[in-house]
Amino acid sequence: MRNLLLLCTALACAAPLFAQPAVPAPGQTAQGDVAVTIYNNDRALIEDKRMLDLPAGRSRQEFRDVSAQIQPETVTLNGRGIGVVEQNFDFDLLSPSALIQNAVGQEVTLVRVNPASGAEVRERARILAANGGVVMQIGDRIEVLRDDGLPARVIFDGVPPSLRARPTLSVTLQSDGGGRRPVTLTYLTPGLGWAADYVALFDEANGRMDVQGWVTLTNNSGTPYVNANTLLVAGAVGQANPYQRPYYGGGYPPPPPPPPPMPGRTIDRSGTETAARERLGDFYLYPLPERTTIADKQTKQVSFLDVQNTPASRGYEFNNGWMTTSDQPISATTVLRFSSSRNQGLGDALPAGTIRVYQRDARGNPQFVGEHRIGHTPMGSDIGLATGQAFDVKVRPVVEERTKLSADRWRTKMRYTLTNASPKPVTVDLFQSGLWGDTRIVEESMKSARPNADQVKWGVPIPANGEATVTATFDSRY
Amino acid sequence: MRAFALLAALALSPPAFAQAIVTSPAPGRVAVTVYRNGDRGLEPMNLGWLGGYALVSETRRVRLPAGESELRFEGVTAGIVPQSAIVTGLGEAVIEKNRDARLLSPGALLDASLGERVHLRRTSKATGAVREQEAVVRATSDGVVLQTADGIEALRCSGLPETVTARQLPQGLSAKPTLSVRVRSPEPVERDVTLSYISNNFDWQADYIAELSPAGDSISLFAWMTLANGDQTGLADAQTQAVAGKLNRERVWVNPGEARGISIQCWPRGTTSDLPLEEAIVVTGSRIAAAAPPPPPPPPAAERGGGDEMFALKAEEERLGDVRLYRIPETVTVAGKSQKQVAMIKQPAVRIESILRLRPVTGAFEMPLERVLTTRNLSAQGLGLPLPAGKVALFGRRDGHRILLGEGSIDDYAVGEKVQIPVATATGVLARQSMFRREGANLPPGYELVLTNDLSRPQTVEVEFPLEAKPMDGRTLVKRDGWKLWRVILPANGKATFKWHI
Repeated sequence: MRNLLLLCTALACAAPLFAQPAVPAPGQTAQGDVAVTIYNNDRALIEDKRMLDLPAGRSRQEFRDVSAQIQPETVTLNGRGIGVVEQNFDFDLLSPSALIQNAVGQEVTLVRVNPASGAEVRERARILAANGGVVMQIGDRIEVLRDDGLPARVIFDGVPPSLRARPTLSVTLQSDGGGRRPVTLTYLTPGLGWAADYVALFDEANGRMDVQGWVTLTNNSGTPYVNANTLLVAGAVGQANPYQRPYYGGGYPPPPPPPPPMPGRTIDRSGTETAARERLGDFYLYPLPERTTIADKQTKQVSFLDVQNTPASRGYEFNNGWMTTSDQPISATTVLRFSSSRNQGLGDALPAGTIRVYQRDARGNPQFVGEHRIGHTPMGSDIGLATGQAFDVKVRPVVEERTKLSADRWRTKMRYTLTNASPKPVTVDLFQSGLWGDTRIVEESMKSARPNADQVKWGVPIPANGEATVTATFDSRY
Repeated sequence: MRAFALLAALALSPPAFAQAIVTSPAPGRVAVTVYRNGDRGLEPMNLGWLGGYALVSETRRVRLPAGESELRFEGVTAGIVPQSAIVTGLGEAVIEKNRDARLLSPGALLDASLGERVHLRRTSKATGAVREQEAVVRATSDGVVLQTADGIEALRCSGLPETVTARQLPQGLSAKPTLSVRVRSPEPVERDVTLSYISNNFDWQADYIAELSPAGDSISLFAWMTLANGDQTGLADAQTQAVAGKLNRERVWVNPGEARGISIQCWPRGTTSDLPLEEAIVVTGSRIAAAAPPPPPPPPAAERGGGDEMFALKAEEERLGDVRLYRIPETVTVAGKSQKQVAMIKQPAVRIESILRLRPVTGAFEMPLERVLTTRNLSAQGLGLPLPAGKVALFGRRDGHRILLGEGSIDDYAVGEKVQIPVATATGVLARQSMFRREGANLPPGYELVLTNDLSRPQTVEVEFPLEAKPMDGRTLVKRDGWKLWRVILPANGKATFKWHI
């Protein structure tokens, strides 16, 4: 009998609870037909077509399951026969302290529990103030809540309508008639972003490479997007995003520190070909082939590029930043060169991302041999990726002589010793930088090129297991 | 009561889930290749915070049903870089790869219960009586607000022991970030799937142990390949390799998983006295902090290895593109939070020259000289193989016992290079330089460098002067590698003098 009574009260009390604006059951969403367009700079456009049951005239509609990071000022709502009266974004959150602040001047029920016997005493109390402590009136006494430290439950009669569990978007609509009709909600949100990740398997012996491209999208917006039609835009709209909050922490090691500066550029020559992909304005579009659910805190990867047997070669570069002597020979940078051209290349534009390069070891297992980030790369570009430093190819720059010619003229004789401990001949692109505009080469052991005012370049062949030397004398202002 | 439970179960049962979930609990076969932290330079490894990384390749046998399914990979390392994960062996069946970082935590459990019915359980401290009642969670952001049959209440603000219990786990939460692929197969299949990924929190280095011959003109050189795994996950019976050389890496952000505690906040709690309340309310709304790294395991005993021991297992070297791969020929277990050593180099007799080195500056000074072992990395000298970067310990023998003579580090050395290993600071050979006025008007001062040797053996000293240095008293200097060299053999218990100016 007692159980039955309990059951009844439970059911009876449950009914009015759910009369409140309901919260969805797990697995259900208030979202309708969702389309998500994600840009590279932590920004996304969400379009959500929902069926709304509208009464004729004015009504207030709350939109649940919008992005937790919604930028409310960007919300627009469209639908046939409806007009927007006003849009509100309410972020007055329901909390114990908000409850008591709202109860000032009102009555609550106080249940005191005797710590020795467990006996309960029920009283009505009027909250007079809640500043630093709660002052209340019980009958003709004025008391501070739980001043004696004894247990006391405070029971409020209800929740003020302005307080919400989560920030809520609400729109007051004027509808020309009642009934169900589709409305489209669009807004911008940070917390969604994407980049490309490439896997390149380089076959050095044959000078070929297989490349797979994946788009990697991440959702840190706090909300899942269910069964969404997803479009990725290779580009960044607008300015840098104030909502971006990089976080390095938790129980994991931090990401590796930025690598030492290598030749920074990746595009040797920018392409001018147009890829066979959908385009919008300046941007290439990458639609996901099918609808997918983007869960909160999820990283999702979908393949977008698979190219076999594209030509690729390895080169070596060394840049001496200033006319200095190095104590040790320094490894040359290993550069993987390939093209994104239709002809003899990947045949596609490459959205910005990281290219990870693998090579097979003696047993045929792919091993990682370095990675490098690329920017948005047009089709037809020549690409040079600095993937690492060569163990066996080293350069040692040495200042042989430095003579003062006049008050503002110096003569510097440089010697570069290039060594190759590998069993095949290599060619190193040797750069001397720091020449500004007015440094001349007086004499050199090998013909140089001057790609720009600041640098000279020699293409130095080094025999297998051999050595090569380049000398040059510079006439400079410093 | 049972009827109610049934009703609740019906109301709250999750909607039918179209996708089958297949879990692969652990890898069958594992291969791991460890890469050195390229930015560490000559610093020692920090076992609590390893900056290198590893390529982990796992082979897993999976059975997939017909239709769409989600294949979850468990037992991967915690330091996985999910963007780098490659799944092969499923062909066209893969629709997408996912990694979910929403973790099951008290906060996530309560958040998922927002608007749901939960049990509120109160226990009387006086009688021990437990009272359970239904409640609906109304807010969880800044403190927890519940709706009960009595009205609206705040959780744990009354001073009574009370808690909420949920009926079921919310969907999509896991204990650890989970990597999965969504696959679609027309028929049930059983396949070997290979999962490869880059994982942070590994590192390695070479640890050289050199023993000086009694004559002092050669060393026996032995090297350990020291691998360290800072991850909780161990890799059992793994094909293990290490790569020597410096590879480029990019900074990548990995969501470590979001886990929150329950935020308990109440109304203002001021009182008329300063008596403490019987229970302290602690705000627990915070990201789960990492447990402090355990103390590093004790360093390996340096006494092991050397000249005479036999090693049954030795890593084999091969060329991999522009770097070097060292392969342990048998499978070994790379346990979580551990360091492992395998022999990698053994050269019994390397001819060396032990010299003292000094690079004088202008001005007066007094300083000891640096002892450097030099040789050339050639087979004629007893070497002639790539030497990966690492630490060097130099030992000598006295009365049949080994004593430590010096310690240093080397960077990567290719075959043919001049090898220099700084091992110690000499105490008996000193350099003292003083300034003197030169004859003539407005001439810069001259410097007199005096080298003294308190050893009963002659010592070879190389003094490298800057290029602008000009010797005096008819002496000469030879140019070498951008320096002006004075090479002198200091006689036993003798001294040598050199005057120079700029």
